[in-house]
Formats: sequence, C-alpha cells, structure tokens
Amino acid sequence: MFETYIKDYNEAVFEIDKELALEIIETALKDGVTPEQVVFDIIIPSIEEMMAEISINADTNLAQHFMTAQIAAEITEKMLAKFESPPEIIGRVIIGTSYGDLHSLGKRIVMGCLKSMMVDVVDLGVNVKAETFVDAAVAQDAQIIAISSMMVHTATGEEGSLKVRSLLKERGLEDKIKLVVGGAPYRFDHELYNKVGADSWAADGVTAAKIIRELILEGKS
Amino acid sequence: MIKNHSLILHTEKQSIHLQIPEDLSVRVALDIEGLRVRAACGGIGTCGACTIKTVKGDFTPLTLAEWQKIPPEEREHGVRLACQLYLKSDAEVFLDNPAPSSNWKSFNLQHWPDYHYPNFDVKNSFYAVAVDLGTTHIRLSFWDRNTQQRIACRHGNNPQVALGEDVLTRLDVHRQREANLQSLTQIVRDAIIEGIRDILARDIGEIKSILAKVGVVNIVGNTAMLALLSGQDGSELYDPESWEHPIACLADDVFSWKQSWRMPNANITIQAPLAGFIGSDILADLIAINITQHSKPILLADFGTNTEIALWDGKQLWLTSVPGGPAFEGVGLQNGLSAEAGAIRAVNLNNDSFVLETVDDQTAKGFCASGFVDAIALLRMTGEIKLSGRFLNAHPEGFLLDKSNPYTAIKSGDIDAFQRAKASTAAAMQQLLVLANISTHNLSELWICGAFGQHLNVHNAQTSGLIPTMDCSRIKLFGNAALSGCEKMILAPNAKKITDELRQRIHVVNLSHYPEYDDCFINHLRLQPFIGDE
Repeated sequence: MFETYIKDYNEAVFEIDKELALEIIETALKDGVTPEQVVFDIIIPSIEEMMAEISINADTNLAQHFMTAQIAAEITEKMLAKFESPPEIIGRVIIGTSYGDLHSLGKRIVMGCLKSMMVDVVDLGVNVKAETFVDAAVAQDAQIIAISSMMVHTATGEEGSLKVRSLLKERGLEDKIKLVVGGAPYRFDHELYNKVGADSWAADGVTAAKIIRELILEGKS
Repeated sequence: MIKNHSLILHTEKQSIHLQIPEDLSVRVALDIEGLRVRAACGGIGTCGACTIKTVKGDFTPLTLAEWQKIPPEEREHGVRLACQLYLKSDAEVFLDNPAPSSNWKSFNLQHWPDYHYPNFDVKNSFYAVAVDLGTTHIRLSFWDRNTQQRIACRHGNNPQVALGEDVLTRLDVHRQREANLQSLTQIVRDAIIEGIRDILARDIGEIKSILAKVGVVNIVGNTAMLALLSGQDGSELYDPESWEHPIACLADDVFSWKQSWRMPNANITIQAPLAGFIGSDILADLIAINITQHSKPILLADFGTNTEIALWDGKQLWLTSVPGGPAFEGVGLQNGLSAEAGAIRAVNLNNDSFVLETVDDQTAKGFCASGFVDAIALLRMTGEIKLSGRFLNAHPEGFLLDKSNPYTAIKSGDIDAFQRAKASTAAAMQQLLVLANISTHNLSELWICGAFGQHLNVHNAQTSGLIPTMDCSRIKLFGNAALSGCEKMILAPNAKKITDELRQRIHVVNLSHYPEYDDCFINHLRLQPFIGDE
C-alpha cells in the first residue's frame, strides 16, 4: 500500500502535476500515513530519485528540476504544519546569493531540500554583502552560511565568499560558523570552493542539504 | 495582390530555389538571400556588373540600360542585368560569376514605415547611418537626409560571437584578458564600417567621397555591446548599484574613431542604454511604434539573447529585461541556426507528418527560432512532448522531424532551454502587468520585435505559452523595430525631444527585487498557454 503512494506521488511530481501530487498525499493521510512519514519516506526519497535521474541523464532538464523542487517544497510546508509535535529543528542556515549575483533559483531548490530535512533557513535574498551574511549568522545563532553564486566573477570576487571567510577569521567565528558554497562555477571546477575559502560545496540541492546537515551535526558533537 | 514566382538559380557550385515577388528585381531578391550578384551602383543599371543569364521563363523586356551595357551577342544568349530583371513567370537563371561571399545581406523592407519629414534641408554631410548593434547581429541602414531616401540596409553577424555567445561570457573574456579590450572594441567597430562600405560599394559605387559626407551615425543596442563599442571594459555592468540607472557610453577616442572610419564630418552618437540591463534598442523600438501617442495599454517584447520588455500604461513605461539565453536566436540549440540558408523557419503538420519550410528551400540544416517554436507547439499537440517538457517516449538521439535527416533532431536539452527562455519572458510580462495593474484583456496591442522577425507563428507561440493568449488581430510583428526607431532618430527634426521625453517616462523594474517572480517563472515553465486573465 505504502509503495503505491510512493510510486503514484513520484509519477505525479515527475509529470509536474501539483494537484495530483497533493491529492495522493491527502489520500495517504486519510489512510493513516503520518505527516512525518510523508516527508521522510515519500518526499525526500522522491527528490533524491529525481536528482539521481538528472545526474545520469546528459540532457539535464533544469526546468523539470525547478518544477519538482517547487512542488516538493510546497507539500513539505503543508506537512510540517501538520506534524504531531513541532518538527525538531537540528540547526539554522543563513542563505543568500553573493554580492553582485541576482540568480535566486538555485538557492530556492537548496532551501526546499533543507526545510524537508528539518534545517531552519533564513533567506537574505539576492545580492547580499559579506558583512550582512556574517552579522545575520551571529544575530540568528546560525551554524552555517550558505552562498549561491551563478557567475564566475561573483563566486571568486573579493566581495563574496572570500570576504565572508576573512570576516569569520577576524571575528574569531571560524569554529562556530561553517561556510558552504554552490552554483554553476563550482560544478565546473571542483576545487574552486577551496580557493574561495569555503568549507564545502555541493552540486545539487539534495547533496547541499545533506552536507549542511552533516556539518551541523559535526559541530554539535 | 502581388504575385510570387519561383526562381531556380544555378551557379557552378549549387542550385537554389527562391520565391520572388513580381515587384522585386532579381538583384534585390538575391541580395536578401545572400547569394549576391556583383554590383557597383544602386541597381539603376549604370555599372553593368550584375550580369546573369536567363535560362527559362518569362521576364520583363530589356531596358535601355541593358541595351547599352550588354553586347549584342550576349543579349542573344539571354544575358541580362539582374537589377533590371523582373519575373513574369516561374523561371530559371544561371549566375556565372557571383560576388564573393560576405557577412552582409540586404533585407526586405516591405511593410516598413517610410519616414518623410518636410523641409529637412541639410547642406553638407547629408548622409546618415542608423545602426542597431545586437549581441548576435548587426543591422544598419544608410540614408540621404536631403531626399529622405533609404539607400540600402544590411544585416550581418556580430563577429564578437566567436568570443562567447552571451553577454556575460564576452565581458568575462574582456576582464580576464585586458589586452583584449581594444580588440573587442575594434572588432565591432570594424564590423560596422565594413557593413557601411558594403552598401557604398554595391549601392552607390563610390566609397571615400561618400564617407566624407556622412554627417550622422546613430547607434542603438544592447548595453554591454554599446559599452564595448565605446571602449569601456563593461565593469560598471557588474556593479548592482548601476543596474537600474542609465549607463553613459561615451567614447573618449571619438576623433581617432572618426578618422579610422574616414568620416571626419560625422557626429557619432551612441544612444545611452536605459539601464545596466536595458539597452537603447528598446528605446528605439518604442520610438518606432510611437508608443506615447497611444492612450491604451501596450505591451512590447524585443526577443533576443537578452529579452527586453516594455509595458505602456498610457502614462508611463514599465521596463525590464530577462535572459532569453541564446535559445531565441537559434544558436543555443543542438541544431540551432540563425535564419540562414537551410534553416527550418516554419513547421506544419500534414496527416501526421511534419512539413519543413527552410530558408532558400534547401535541405534542412537545423532550426532557426521561429521554426523551433512551431516544432515545440506541434510536438506538444501530437502528444510527443508532455506538459513538463519531457518526451512521451525516450529519444536519446533526439526526436527527428524528418527521419532521414539528423539535423532535424530536437533534444530534450533544447526543449529545456526553450522552456527556461519562454518562462522568464512570460513571467516578466506577467510581473509588469501586475505592477501596472493591467490585465491582458485590457492590452490594446502586443508588439513582438527582435529575433523572431516576421516569421513567428503567433498561434504556435501562444500554444506553448511564449506570449499571452489574446486575439491575433491585436498582435503585431515588427522584426527590425529597433533599426526603424534608430532611423527615426536621425530623420525626425524633433527626434531629440521625443527621445528625451520618453526617457523621462521610464520606470525600470529589477525583477530580482520581487520574490514572487521566481514562483511565476516556475509556473510558466510548463508548456501550456499563458492565459493571463483574459
């Protein structure tokens, strides 16, 4: 029975049929599946499966990627509101695009995945200054700063990750706050994250969320 | 109603099929197609260079110029002057000695507004040039301001394409290799003057003396291209603070620039872009259609690598731009082409099989943008492509519209690029409509300018949601609007006043300030009509 929901939901999401996906989840809930199960056993595996398909298919379909992530994020939000006990949030991330960069869509996908994995996200939007990232992380008690850059010059620029790193160093925050980056330039050069002073990077939304989760848990232990 | 006749043109290397209207000389028709006859006058029969041999068919009788220029023995063998020759029936001709191939082609000026301003009297330097500098193409026209006549026009590729298909890649090339700065500026300046000289050589027959009489060169275009043309490095465009403000594109070497073009008397004006991401090409579009004369709302989109969108609400202009990516110019697709020979420019469906219409009727070599829009709409209609943009069945090598021709393949990556380009455009249109509180129902006109030219099938564009669904009679196609507006700027005595007034009414919208735009974009990725609220 449960497998049928997974299969039907996956199909609906792949066909970007939001109404049908919601209907399937509603039926599942009526049949006694808990909102927690919906998030952890249906939605997250479904995103993972989609990422896997995208990575093996040379003809990457970004449109599909955006549409599915949007549906997943929306359904997750609905489920979170229905959780028996308030969802246990494992940590907090400050996210935004780097200074000079207005590309917000990659960041959205990561945010959707993070929320599904019980990580609280504070979105600073686009074109964010390095100081703003660090100030917000301190004020909000966040463990991670995540910076999205879609262009080479915003990834490697002096006002971006490099400056966040030097501010963290200056203020003695390097142990408390980790820096994670993502976006197109990092997919072309897998060592680039290192050059811009980041602790880690990820190629897609699910991996980003997983890496961020691990970094938070490492910091706690 | 003007009749079309088909012409088969043979050369030693190839044979091409053309459709030529009865009122177009063979020379003009060939200038448009790019397989050109030799020429050194404006098509008035004085140079005698454009000889062509008639093989079959009915033509207009020999003109006086032909009696004078063609020796009797050649006349007997059917030799004519292409500039004097018009078709009276389907025909065949042989071109022995075509002009060397060139980056420059003429284009058809049918349906173009002609400008006539009385009492315009320029004593000296009465020639003027209008230039529309785009990311992938350059369009220009040459005018005699005294007679108010357009001598000729040309379009050609922007040679900077070799250094990167999109604007940012080109700016990056610039940044990384500073020594290149001058060469990128030089490349585009050389290209423009080459186009002008092509007109002078073929349509007037004199170069140097005419260049000295050029009084005005007016250039509109995309912001980054204009910055590069003026000799700037474009670094201002990286600074978000400057994106919503006009960018001054003033060259500090105008004197030597004029010297290098041999136009000592020319006043070269680069029309300042409206903002970091909105060029002056859309300003020219708006001038071309007299936007401020209208009291009802009008939407205008100039499609290209960067798609610019303007909404006139009767009082002010809401302007924005979105990345179209190279998908709208054809070049970004697996089998993408600009509108060159062999490019599929339209697709029709006839009893389950696809009928391809190509430029010059040649074997299909790939898709130009209008053909691709048709293909997507028809594949969607037949169910081969789903709402999500995915194929119904897997096609690892792409879906072949013509099973025997690999260049007719559409890959899923192509559909994806198109979906993103059309979604960003449609979402931007929707966002402007929301901001100005106007519904598609209230739009009196929708103007489609830029890359699609006259060939866009409006119905198919609506099926896939590229443009809003509204009555076709309210949709106007005007491919070369920016050049037309640029011409108006050099001809209308009150052009500066019109331009300045228009600039005052502009409200630039940076969509990244509207978080709801992202959701709107994602919703528009689906291959379905953009209904709006009509």
